[in-house]
Amino acid sequence: MCEQCGCQSPQPGGKAAEKNPKTMLLEVNRRLLAANDKQAAANRRLAEEKLGAVVINLISSPGGGKTTLLAATIDRLAGRRKIGVLEGDIETERDAERLRAHGIPVVALTTGGACHLDAPLVNRGLQQLAAKEDRLDLVFIENVGNLVCPATFDLGEHYRVVLLSVPEGSDKPAKYPRAFLTSQVFLVSKTDLLPHFDFSLDEVRQDALGINPDLKILPLAAKDGVGLDAWLAWLETLFP
Amino acid sequence: MHELSLAQSLVEQLLVLAAEQRATRVVRIRVRIEPLAGVVTDSFSFGFEAVKTISAVTRDAILELDCPPASYRCLACGRLSEHPLPPEIPCPGCGAKNRQLPTGGDQLLLLQVELEEQETDNGKTEPQPREVNSHV
Repeated sequence: MCEQCGCQSPQPGGKAAEKNPKTMLLEVNRRLLAANDKQAAANRRLAEEKLGAVVINLISSPGGGKTTLLAATIDRLAGRRKIGVLEGDIETERDAERLRAHGIPVVALTTGGACHLDAPLVNRGLQQLAAKEDRLDLVFIENVGNLVCPATFDLGEHYRVVLLSVPEGSDKPAKYPRAFLTSQVFLVSKTDLLPHFDFSLDEVRQDALGINPDLKILPLAAKDGVGLDAWLAWLETLFP
Repeated sequence: MHELSLAQSLVEQLLVLAAEQRATRVVRIRVRIEPLAGVVTDSFSFGFEAVKTISAVTRDAILELDCPPASYRCLACGRLSEHPLPPEIPCPGCGAKNRQLPTGGDQLLLLQVELEEQETDNGKTEPQPREVNSHV
């Protein structure tokens, strides 16, 4: 034990450092998620080269409305854009089944307990999509419902979209800043419930822009189709 | 609790590093968690303590954290200040509310690793198999 501070390190310049065993200090300066990030970059290339697809990572709390938004988006783009979905869930294929009913290829990514998707898991999903389809315009990755953990993992998406539903409260961007910091689009969902909740669109807008001034903010109610046009218009900007 | 996954990738990285350097033991590591990394440091430390036991190489590694505070730039007056989240705290320069952008980093970095290698009596380094508990 070190006699200077009581830590368990060998004492600097002490016997342990000089004789047997020998220690060395490496300056590494490497990202902790270097392996994940490398896989994410490969995923982006795979989506571009094999499928010609733009990949969107959709993040929200459980029950935020990701699957409902996807179902509405798929229906509105039917016949115009080819869509594939990687459906992340901790357990069950319920959401995957729900989206398959809309006539698109869906690969279920069941994490079996993990609170987020990571790039290696998404790679397996993309490979399965590429085995089924020659070409897709859009691949949506529906992340595991969680506003915290998914924000740390690059999956190989081109764009990240964060979704926050009205019942969750307008204080969430300030409380969970990373999801908003790392996204390009922020969808306020279930706006049809605004009359019933103490939710301030102004506050949520101001807080979100305070964290990320480049964030595009779109309020919508996917169930009624309100606000979907602006969302679909943004999706169209992704295609030259 | 993605901190456990992060701790796992850290330990995997350490095992690769140790193998590359023919080291038998990771003595100490220094990890930087920047303020917007979205990582709870206590959970991360807890995760590391649990995961490091998977190998004799990392079992005794001591984790040191380097956690710089968040800085905020005020959109109204341009002042840079350091204080914790949330961002609605008024600017200490001009008092403006909700005009401050977090500018702290969001990186998670393995900064430094101290490795130990066994030496034989003739002074040459002899790589030890991973299973060997070099601490004995």
